[in-house]
Amino acid sequence: MFAVMSTSDQAPYVIASYVITLGGIGLYVWRLLARARKIAPQVREEDRPWT
Amino acid sequence: MDLSPREVVPTAQGRKRKRPWLAMSVLGLVLVGGGVMVVMFLNNAVDYYCNVDEVGVKDGCDVGRNIRIQGVVQEGSVEQTAAEYSFVIAYNGKEMPISVGSQPSGIFQECIPVVVRGQAVDEGDGVVFLGDEVIVKHDNEYDAENADRLEQSNAEAAACSQKG
Amino acid sequence: MTPTPTPSPGRTTDARPTGTRFTRVLGAAVLLGLAWLVLFGLFLSPNDEKQKAGVRILYIHVPTAWLAYLAFIVTGIASAAYLFKRTRSLTWDRIAGASAEIGVLFMGITLVTGSLWGRISWGIFWTWDSRLTTTAFLFVTYIGYLAVRNLGGTHQQRARRSAIIALLAVLEVPLVHFSVKWWRPLHQQESVAEGKLSGLMLFSLFVGLIAFTLLYVWLLLHRQRVLAMEDALDDQGLDVALAERRAEGAQV
Repeated sequence: MFAVMSTSDQAPYVIASYVITLGGIGLYVWRLLARARKIAPQVREEDRPWT
Repeated sequence: MDLSPREVVPTAQGRKRKRPWLAMSVLGLVLVGGGVMVVMFLNNAVDYYCNVDEVGVKDGCDVGRNIRIQGVVQEGSVEQTAAEYSFVIAYNGKEMPISVGSQPSGIFQECIPVVVRGQAVDEGDGVVFLGDEVIVKHDNEYDAENADRLEQSNAEAAACSQKG
Repeated sequence: MTPTPTPSPGRTTDARPTGTRFTRVLGAAVLLGLAWLVLFGLFLSPNDEKQKAGVRILYIHVPTAWLAYLAFIVTGIASAAYLFKRTRSLTWDRIAGASAEIGVLFMGITLVTGSLWGRISWGIFWTWDSRLTTTAFLFVTYIGYLAVRNLGGTHQQRARRSAIIALLAVLEVPLVHFSVKWWRPLHQQESVAEGKLSGLMLFSLFVGLIAFTLLYVWLLLHRQRVLAMEDALDDQGLDVALAERRAEGAQV
């Protein structure tokens, strides 16, 4: 693909859209799991019915 | 997941929210932002553009008024001089010569539908559209790029001039 | 005051307190799906005849838009379930809140990828046509919804307030979806239902759709559980504060 795309100026936009998408999701997931780890020890076992 | 109804006891009563001002200011921004959007949308016509055959015919598509017009760039009509960039667009059998300052960006090419913002001006010997901005309006058909398909692209080019 | 953890079989680890066996399997599938999306979207699918490489943005732009719609519809359904007396439970409220947050994330991605795509195919990042405007409006509406959820009060007040807003906000979804049919926009019409994508392009879109759907479910489960823990902490808060005060008093 890069061989094909390098001839056009579209490549940076296409790559940026994938990087922003995956990066944004990754950041959200990381913050979500960090929050979970932080508060879990303070929460009673019976308040975590999925465990 | 336990979805069974429980006894409703109001919970977290009297707890202090740490940052209600944050929620408040976000809400304020949302209301302002929503308002701006509605205004921007209403300042633009509800229909984003007029088709070429509607210029001077349909309400709101008058000659001499700031409008957007849509049509297909005609094959062989693109000309570039030092001062201007011109081409002809057509829709439903009506043609409109377009004159803009510089080469349009995006995937501008012949046989592609475009939307031009500007004014239709009656120059005595016919109407010319003086464009400020050219936007490529891509349709929703996709096809793999293939160098061997010369025949088909020729057929499409023929279809392009028919479309107009 | 930390309650002593009692080890029990099937208990989640402290490293992943909101994970279960199901979410772990699902998470692996999500990673696989996203890897496939990158593989097909960026490498294996062909360039478009007119759009060239730009078409590759479609494989994330369209699935995230659809999943954002779905997320907002789920928020609406869960909100209705909360307001309906026989099914009233704060769990529904938390599902609504979690789904709206994920919807905002996906809609934000749709707007960013859409404007990048707009730049390379239309030549502009943004314009006020009907599809773009209604999408942006939907996006800020749900940011407003999330702000309302954080205004404070009891959990029941939060749930009722936000549920009513969610039921109004979800009416915007059909408005956005049909905006390209009702008005004449710059944005293109739907191309999938009409079969205007060919072979590998359609397959790449399909891969994106599966990957983002699995991701949505994974995020919803985790976010909903974190919300449940936060609510439990709020409820516990008062007890803990009192207990700490008592402990301090005992030490003196």
